[in-house]
Amino acid sequence: MNFLARSVRAVRPVRMVRSYATEAAATGLRLTFAVPHQTLYKDASVAQVNIAAVSGDMGILASHVPSIEQLRPGVVEIIENAATKKFFVSGGFATMNPDSSLNINAIEAFPVEDFSAETVRHNLAEAQRVAASGATEEEKLAAKIEVEVLESLQAAINAK
Amino acid sequence: MFATRAQPVASVLSAGVQTRNMATLREIQLRLNSIKNIGKITKSMKMIASTKVSKAQRAMETARSYGATSAAVYKNANTVPLETESNIWVVSSSDRGLCGGIHSSVAKATRKLIAEDTAPVAGVVVLGDKAKNQMTRSNRGDIKLSFNQIGKAIPTFAEASAAADTILTSDVKFDTATIIYNKFQSAIAYEATPIKNYSIEAFKASENFTAYELDEEVLENYNEFLFANNLYWALVEGHASEMSAKRNAMENATKNAGEMVDRLTMTYNRTRQAAITSELVDIITGASAL
Repeated sequence: MNFLARSVRAVRPVRMVRSYATEAAATGLRLTFAVPHQTLYKDASVAQVNIAAVSGDMGILASHVPSIEQLRPGVVEIIENAATKKFFVSGGFATMNPDSSLNINAIEAFPVEDFSAETVRHNLAEAQRVAASGATEEEKLAAKIEVEVLESLQAAINAK
Repeated sequence: MFATRAQPVASVLSAGVQTRNMATLREIQLRLNSIKNIGKITKSMKMIASTKVSKAQRAMETARSYGATSAAVYKNANTVPLETESNIWVVSSSDRGLCGGIHSSVAKATRKLIAEDTAPVAGVVVLGDKAKNQMTRSNRGDIKLSFNQIGKAIPTFAEASAAADTILTSDVKFDTATIIYNKFQSAIAYEATPIKNYSIEAFKASENFTAYELDEEVLENYNEFLFANNLYWALVEGHASEMSAKRNAMENATKNAGEMVDRLTMTYNRTRQAAITSELVDIITGASAL
């Protein structure tokens, strides 16, 4: 049951509208979203946050089950009362606390629309080359991680 | 004969200064110049520090909220360290001097905390050369690792995670970690403060741990991530404290240099006047003796 509750996959728009009308009105989800060099949201009241966790994509609403989730490279979608913002994060952690506050600590996060599809494609080709023919094992591994990040970034840009 | 007569006059007017007037004037002039130069240097160092303060403070604000968001879990879970756990002490400071008592503040606080703490000491890790010098005096045997090249610019997350990784993969075995850094209180005040990094066992044993849903594997990663976060927080906030302490130290130095210049100018002018007077006296007495 809990599993179902926390891994609601990218909910259909119809559900989303309903959830924000009923859930957010009560207590509201408070989001703190920070990267080391910038605080993107500080204790802001939002309707819903969709994250890409290692254990699967999930949508988080107010009074979600307290949990600690590791983020994988992917999109964090923040649905505020009026607008929706999409950030691409390279990795990090999201902690849902019992008091309906959600803390997301990422290493890097930028709005999806700020990425250049051209550069991503170029870097991806480069990383794939290194991953296949890197000099050392360490170099190959680093390139593989890079490929993983860039692939999901590309997917995020294309999905826009 | 003239010389012996001139002596008392000069020494009365320039009290405390040597009686050899010409040499003294020279000496005073030299000192005056060097102090003026020192004043100029400290003044420009103050300017540099002030521009860095505002930047460092902005970085600190974000690092603080970054660190605080991660620390919120421990707070919500009500985590306390277990009795039997060994503790590693991480002293966060920098390589640069000329910033008042910033380094001795963390070193002193660490010594005090180690003395008070009952947990076995797993070791001491020092970030920054200045604090290392201070810690080697009292805890030479405990120092396991030290880092330098810290404090030139605002510390980055990459630096913090590199340091965290080195500590975690080193031979030093520890359960909890306590990071001591200078907490920025205001532009003129800082205080050495510890940040606790609990072990996974302590977190599991904490009061509200059961409220959280998580995977075992995630927890380990999360704990390492928290360690890097806390280290980053400590480094950046320590840097902000250091910069504002440096500004204050340099401001005081400039003020003191200014005061010394004023005093020396006064002495210089008096001595010069005394020399002139004594020469006049010599001439007049010589003339009247004829």
